[in-house]
Order: sequence, then C-alpha cells, then structure tokens
Amino acid sequence: MPSVVEKKTSDQIAELKAALKALNQEYSKMKDLPAEERGDFGRKLNEKKQKIMAEIAAAEEAALEQDVKPLDITAPCAINGELPKFLTADEGSQHPLMTELDRVMAIYQSMGFDVVESQQLDDEYHMFDSLNFAKAHPARDNFDTFRTEEGYIPPAHTSTMQNRILKAYKHKLAEGEAIAVAVPGRVYRNEDLDATHEHTFYQCEGVYVSKTCTLGNMLGILREFFEKYYGQKLNIRTQPGFFPFTEPSLEFMIEKPEALAGKKGEFLEMLGCGMIHPNVLKEAGIDPEEYHGFAWGGGIDRLVMLKRKLSDVRYFESAKLDFLKEFAC
Amino acid sequence: MLISLNWLKKYVDIDVSDDELVRLIGSRLVEVEDVIDEAHKYDNIFAVRVESAEKIPDTHLSLCYIDDGGKMDGIPRDEKGLIQVMCGAPNVHAGMMAAWIAPGAVVPASVHEDQPFVIGMRKMLKKYDSYGMLAGADELDFGGDHLGIAELDPAVAKPGMTLAEIYELNDIVLDIENKSLTHRPDTFGVIGFAREVAGILGKEFKTPEWLLKTKADFEQEDIALDIEIADENLCPRYTAVVLTPHGEYSEKYLTLERTYLCKSGMRPVDPIVDLTNYLMLLSGQPLHAFDYDKFLTIGKTKNPKIIVRAAKAGERLTLLDEKEVELTESDILITSNNVPVALAGAMGGDNTKIDENTKRVILESATFSLYNLRKTQMTHGIFSEAITRFTKGQPSGQTLPVALEFAKHAPALKPIALFDSQKDAPKAIEVEISVEKMNNLLGTNFSGKEAAKTLENVNFETKLSGDKLSCKVPYWRTDIHIPEDIYEEIGRLNGFDNIAPVLPLHATADPSPRYALKTRLRNFMSARGANEALTYSFIHGDLLEKCGQDAKNSYRITNSISPDLQYIRQNILPSLVSRAYGNLRGGFKHFVMFEMNQIYRRSDGVDAQNVPNGRHQFASLFVNDATDSNYYFAKHYLEALLDYLAIDFELREFVAEKDKSNAYYEPKRSAAIYSDDVLLGYIGELKLKVLREFKLPQGTAGFELDTDKLLELAGTKDAKLVRFSQFQSVERDLTLTVPENQAYGDIEKALREVFDRSGYIYKIRPVSIFQAEGQQTKNVSFRFEFADFNKTLTKQAIQDIMKKLESVKF
Repeated sequence: MPSVVEKKTSDQIAELKAALKALNQEYSKMKDLPAEERGDFGRKLNEKKQKIMAEIAAAEEAALEQDVKPLDITAPCAINGELPKFLTADEGSQHPLMTELDRVMAIYQSMGFDVVESQQLDDEYHMFDSLNFAKAHPARDNFDTFRTEEGYIPPAHTSTMQNRILKAYKHKLAEGEAIAVAVPGRVYRNEDLDATHEHTFYQCEGVYVSKTCTLGNMLGILREFFEKYYGQKLNIRTQPGFFPFTEPSLEFMIEKPEALAGKKGEFLEMLGCGMIHPNVLKEAGIDPEEYHGFAWGGGIDRLVMLKRKLSDVRYFESAKLDFLKEFAC
Repeated sequence: MLISLNWLKKYVDIDVSDDELVRLIGSRLVEVEDVIDEAHKYDNIFAVRVESAEKIPDTHLSLCYIDDGGKMDGIPRDEKGLIQVMCGAPNVHAGMMAAWIAPGAVVPASVHEDQPFVIGMRKMLKKYDSYGMLAGADELDFGGDHLGIAELDPAVAKPGMTLAEIYELNDIVLDIENKSLTHRPDTFGVIGFAREVAGILGKEFKTPEWLLKTKADFEQEDIALDIEIADENLCPRYTAVVLTPHGEYSEKYLTLERTYLCKSGMRPVDPIVDLTNYLMLLSGQPLHAFDYDKFLTIGKTKNPKIIVRAAKAGERLTLLDEKEVELTESDILITSNNVPVALAGAMGGDNTKIDENTKRVILESATFSLYNLRKTQMTHGIFSEAITRFTKGQPSGQTLPVALEFAKHAPALKPIALFDSQKDAPKAIEVEISVEKMNNLLGTNFSGKEAAKTLENVNFETKLSGDKLSCKVPYWRTDIHIPEDIYEEIGRLNGFDNIAPVLPLHATADPSPRYALKTRLRNFMSARGANEALTYSFIHGDLLEKCGQDAKNSYRITNSISPDLQYIRQNILPSLVSRAYGNLRGGFKHFVMFEMNQIYRRSDGVDAQNVPNGRHQFASLFVNDATDSNYYFAKHYLEALLDYLAIDFELREFVAEKDKSNAYYEPKRSAAIYSDDVLLGYIGELKLKVLREFKLPQGTAGFELDTDKLLELAGTKDAKLVRFSQFQSVERDLTLTVPENQAYGDIEKALREVFDRSGYIYKIRPVSIFQAEGQQTKNVSFRFEFADFNKTLTKQAIQDIMKKLESVKF
C-alpha cells in the first residue's frame, strides 16, 4: 500500500501533467488572435509551460527520493541479505606512482631526510617571491601556471615548500645540525595533455642546508640515492641548468642502470638541482654568509615510466582498472 | 638553435675531437639535443665550368658541355674531356662556374626526405644524353627560388673542386636545447657560443674588435632623425643607422654567408635582410631594416621620427607576412611619427618593408623588454629566430657595434648617420669574491690564479689580491650579479663533473606519520581486493552540479586549458564516481576503488599565511552490478579499517553539510562516521539522481574519511591489547526477535554490556538478519565465542550467561 506521502506526490504529478496538457491545448487559440497579440500570448504560454515542466521535474525527483527505503546504518547486512565479504587479495592493487613515492621516501628517510608533503594549492609568495623569481619572470605568466580567481596557485613545482621548510627547520641549524627534508607532492602545469605531457604529475624535492655542505656533497647525496634506488653502483654526470632559486644550477644524470637495460655511455636526466640561492635563504631568515645548502627536484612519473616501460603518461590519472590491476601486490 | 661547428671554428681553435667537444659542451654549457652530421650531404657535387651552352630551338633546354676537372670516372666525355649535360635554367651560359651534381649523387635538398632524390643519367628529348645535373641554390639546400642555377665565384671555385671544400660543407651542426640558456642571451650568437667553447677548453677567447666598438666609425652627414622612447623599461636602447644607395649591387654568386645562414636553419630573402639575419646569427643581436622613404610617407613627415611605445589595446598592424594583428597593451610598437610600422622584436610592418625599389634604409638595432616580448610571442604565436633571441634579454651594449657592422657590409648602401637613444654607457658590473668561500661552497680546491684564468678566458677582467678576486663583468654577461654567479662560472667552465661527490655523514630520519599511515591504508585496502586510483584535482563544473555540490565552494581556475579542469574538487569520491562507468563498461562488475589525496573547499578558509586550508582525504567507492545495495559492503571495509587502526567509532544519523559538500549521499541510506565527537567522514549509498547521471547501478556506495583525523586518533591509541585464554573457549548461537525497526547496533551494544559484566573474553559475530514476509519483527542471529581467563567454563556458567544474553529485550 503506498504511503500517504507517496500518494500525494503521485497525485501531484498527475495534476501537473494534466495542467500541462490543458496548457498545450491553449496554443491552438493563438491562430484566432489578431497578429499583434500573438507574440505576447505565445510568450506568456511558454513561460507557464516552462514553470510547469520544472515543477514536474522537481516532483518526479522527489518521488524518486521518496521511493528510497531507509536502511539500518548500524547493521552488518540488509534484512534477509547476505553478510558482505571482502574482495580477494589477488584483485587488489596499489597505484604505481604511490608505491614508487613510498620507496623513494623510504630511501630518503634512511639517508636522514624528514618527509614533508607538499601543498596542492599555494600562493604567489611561496611559489615565486620566496624563490627569487623576478617580478616579471615568464614562469609567472598564466601560460605556464594555473591560477584561481583569488590568485592562488596549484603549484607547478614542489619547491613551493622550500621557504616553509627552511623556516620550520631553521632551529636545527642553531642546534648544529643540518636541515634535511624530502618533499613529495602533486604538481600542475598548464599544458595540453598527450602521451608524454600531463598537467598533473608527481615530484619529489630535496632540501639540505648546513654550515659546511658543498656542491660535492649534493652530488654525493644524489648518487647515493640513485645507487640505493637501482641497487647498483652508478656513474653520474651533470649538465649546467638554470633555475632562479639555485646558483649554481645543474641537471643531474645517471648512467642508465642495468635494471633499465642500460648500455655504457647512455645517460638519463633525472632531476634539476643546485646550491640554494642566497636570496632564498635570506627570505627564510637564514644567513647565507654562515650557511649554505642545496636543493633538487625530480619527477616521479618518469621513474615509474622508465621502470615499467610505460609509453603513455595519461594512464596514471585515468582510474582505469585495466591499467591499475597490472599493479597487483 | 642550430650551430655549425665549422662556423664556430672560425672563432675558436678546437683541438679535441668532435665527439669530445659535444660531450664537453653538454656537460659545461648546454644540452646538445642532436648532432647532425652533414659530412656526406655534398658528396660528388663539383664546381664545373660551363664551356658551352647551346639553346635547343623550341625548348627551354640548353645542351651544355662542362669541365669537371676530370674528377668523375666512368662518364662518357667528348674529345676535349667535357661532359654533356642538359640544363633548363635560363641563366646557364658559357664561361660560368656552376655546381654539378654527378650521376649517382643525391640532391642535397632531398637528403632528409623519405626517398632522397638520386641523380642519374637521363635521355632528354629522346636523343640527348644528360649526365648529372647543374643545380639551383634551392636544390643545394641553400634556399631561394627555382629560377636558375647557382653561379659560383670563379675567384674561389675551380673546375673539379668539391662544393664541400669551397663552402666548408663538410660540417657538423649541433641542435642546441635553448631552454636552459634562457639566462644567457650572449650564447644565442656564434661568437658568444664560441667564447664559451674557448672557456670550456681552457683557452683565452679573442672577441672580434668590431663587437667592442663604442662609437660610429664612418663620416656622418647632417641629417635629422628623432628617436623618442616612451618608456625605457620597454626599450632600454634603440640604435638606428641611416643608409643611402652607394654603388651597384653586383653579387651574383652563391656566397659563403648564405650557406651558413641556411645551415643555421634560416632562408635567404634579399641581400639586406640576409645580412641582418647573418649578423643576428653571429652576434645574437636581431636587426630590422625599414624602407626609409616608406617610413617618411607613412609618418607624413620630412624627417623621420621614431617613437617606441606600448601598443593600445585594439590597435592594428599588418605585418610583413601580410597578416593583420590586433595588438594588446603589452605589445611594443615601433612607430613612424606615431603610426605603427613594426611590432617590436617580433616582425616588421608591411608598410615599411624592404623591396626591390628600396633606396634609403633605416637600420634598427635595439633591445626590448623580454617580458613584454614574451607576451607578444605567446599572444600572436610568433616564434621567429629574432624574438627567440629578444626574449632572452639581449644586452644593450651590443646594439651599436652590430649596427656598425651592418653599415660596413651593407650591400650597395653606405651609412650616413647614426642615432642612439643611449647617451652614456652604463658602468660595468664588478663582483668581488673570496676564493676560499667559493671552494667551501663548491667542494673544490681552485687557486686564486686558476679562478682568475678561468674568467679571463671568457673576457672578464680580474684582479687578484690575496683571497679576494675582483671581477669586471663584460657587457654581454647580463646574468652575473653576485658572487654565487661567479662561483658557478668557475665551477662550470672547469667542469662540475670534476668535483668529487662526497656523501655527508647522516643519521636516519623517522618516517612521516601521515605518510606511514597512508602506506598502512594502502596496504590494508589492496590486501582486500581494492584498487588504488589517482584522479585529477581539477574537475568540470558539471561534476559539481551533478553531485549537488556548490560551485561557489570550489576554487575556480581562471586560465585552465579546458573546462574539464576548471574547478578544484571539494571531495575525492565524486571523481571516483565519474570514472566508475568506464570500468563497468570495460567489463568490471564488482570492484572497490580508492584514492588518497588533498582537497580544498573555500568554506575551509585560509591559514595564518593566508594560504587556503586543504584536507587530506581518503575515499573509497564500492560498485557491484549484481546488487542494489552496497552500503553494507562499504561498511564492512570501513569497520575493518578503523578496527585495524584501533579507532573506536560510531555510525550516526547522516546530516547534510551546510556547504553542500556531501550532497551526493542518499540521506536515508548514509551515515556520519564519528569517533567520540570527532567527525571522521561519511559513508553511504549515493543518490539515485547522481547514479543516473553517471550511469551507475543503484546502491553504489562510498565513504570518504579525513586522513589527518585518522592520524590523530590512530596516533593516540596503541594497538588493541590482544587477550586470549589458555582455557577452552565455547561457541554458542543466539537468535533474538526484535521489532523490525530496531537498530542492530543497540542490540549488539546490549549484548556486549552483558559480556563485559561477566569479565569473559568474547567475540560477537552477526550471522543473519531475517524477517519473514508480513511480519513486523525480525530475527537477528549471533554467534558468540567466549572463554574465562582463569578457568574452564562450567556448564552452569555457560547457561547463566546465555540466559542473560537471551533476556536482552527490545
């Protein structure tokens, strides 16, 4: 037996439909009217018709919702239903980017780096000002960087965390220790999507500051990281680079490891790095005369693509089970 | 950017192999994307003298006999040793030197085509044998039209010489990745690049004298030209030279300069424009030539007046390529008495274009704001060689010397006046460094002398005094300002790869608690068959609307590349919902997807630094095509998960959030998840309307939790104490009959209370909930497992507790 409420709704819908039918018949009167009145008459009819149609839609939706039976939110199963079961473990999978980030972070932690996750929405100050970007630097243009109405920025690099990290860990320097932090995060670039370009991807940043560290130390840490990551000794190479927030700036390369079927003399660009620009240290309240440091940032997507021989970066954010289930644990 | 090694070698003495040079450039200056070996492109192409050329009546062809110096074997020759070639070019004539592509050789312009064109022996007009081909400049890949064959200068080309030896074509061209030279405008010219190569090889570079000139070196006539710069930030320096006709233009030969122009990726246009391009490739300074007389006419003046100013929005200008552009306020205009004649840095206007009637010329050599020009570049989509250089910020110091070099070589023109907006040359930058500090930063051991020499090689002036090295920066190094810039130069030119990598001592760090939690969640879910996904942070406004969320509560991206990416999501679950249908259609009928990520809502406000507060969330979606209810399926995971994290929780009545962020849950089949008074998130089936929109089966459910709240709670409790008894445990079943609306949770709670009072160790498992048709009660069945910690339970004790349990009433 339908409940009172339901009945009311179905009656209401029937009434509204009847009204609509009647209204539709009104249109036939139009031809009997003088031409100059027809426009006005038609417009009024249309308005009425639209109003009734909206009411019908709302009532139908309400009816749909009314049909929904409540359930006992505390029960383990539905009345006369089966107890639910977990899916089997062999159906499960972990996202390759996430497992890779886990692995990368585990290595950095073993090397003394704290892990601090990056913001996914930040401001001009952290993204650019605090990183020694000139006021009119082209990277600030909308061509590369997303912006919200308020001027906030979905960051284009994990370096957006540098100023925060330097400030938060400054006390370590006073205690005679080094700042050593790794920053994993999701970053965004205003790019068209294709097999090799994603507007959304993952990066990992490293920041290291102390009284005595050198560019040689930076190369030492990076080599150590990749040797642990690939489980073998590696030859390294650098290339000059340019970033406003480091000076000198370098691109860091490793000889393609055996795991990637590398041949001698084949080098892979892994990340950008450099000695932190004195203005960046100053901005965080660290005296660049007394301390110096280095920082680097590299993509995680590429590590995974190389490792898994993937050719299309778009799979990562596709949520396609065909793809995801390839990464069963 | 393409750089010819042969051109480079004119300015620097290179004594390492080409391979080694490429490696050194890569490691100490810039990435070499590609090494294009041109060594064989001009094989078997010779300079020949056309000994006779006889027109064949009623055809365009001439029968020619050529002298190749006897270089090619196996080709029939006449009694004088000449080779017969047919040629259709109108300019072929006896006595000229031409380029001959021998039979079997490839036409150079076609070498990069899929099927390079190989010249053979042809029979023409059915009776004339033709061996090889006399080539036009275009066929030799030196551009130009197809009107005639290339004529070689007999002063340098002798019959039998290879084209390669005359024009230095046995070359290697480097394709340079410009992006990492953004801050180095000086390297966008062959001379600047050569200077770096010298520095890398440890040699002192000799900058050509002409690049160091600071004043006019010709006699100036008294003519008026007015330069007015509205804003020096837009145009730091504007130099102009006025040139008038002088002598006849007589160059009819294929020039070496033209071949270098083409090897660098440019095409010849006319002698004046070619010279501006050639000098740009050499020095990095773009030049532009205006037709002086058109300039006057356009400006309606007797004496030229150049006004450089920002464009007004909506102003229009037709460019050299005959396209009309609508300008924006960030464009810079060159105007003749305020009438636009060029889009500065990008392209000249059609109205003052050089043509065959051009007599007098105004040559512009200027620098412009790289920021404005970058906008011009992007707005109008102009990616010329010139604007590429301007957007690196060409140094103002070179506008004058490059203009003078043009004046000196200008074809059939002579300079009569020079105008310069810069009155006094800016003072050279000086930077002083401490050699010790530099070594401490780099981890190196350079002596002061070594450091000084490194800089001197690339034309810095240095003075060493003890540990202090003072460095005077040459005008073209616009990137050097502070000691660290100098450290970089010394480290780089000597090779960063020569710095020993040293691992500093370090301890290990503790795992980040949030990161560790996420790893646990990931392991937990995937071990139960769930699939971890990632979806974009940006979503289409439609998704918000279909889920009943308020678009005003989402941060909106103003410059997104597509409407799909216009809003920042407020929750993760809707993203998973929007992707589920694709998987259903792909044949997956029963699955669980989860994602951990950050979300932002405007209603969450900003932090102390005025940056939006975000949340770390964990969402999971439960789809099963075979049932119309997945609430309990989702709850099963939720319960196990929170139990795993040792978080006590309670499911309470669903409440719609004021900001509509949870509007997609069906309130009658959803719940709020609480731990004490902390709201952890929501669980529930989705509204039918939402499911219809996304073509998902009725009963599709999900939950979304605040990961940071889980972290707080999971962090405050240790894992639950594991208690077990060494005495035999007992299993008993019980079915309670309760009113149909009785909440299960209260029943289980009452049973627990009974057990808690007994002090036994126990487990309660639900077995079934049964309601017969027409009944207003339901039967809820449980299985208990319990034991006493201290002794074996007696029959009596078992009966006692069961009695108490049975008497639980509702």
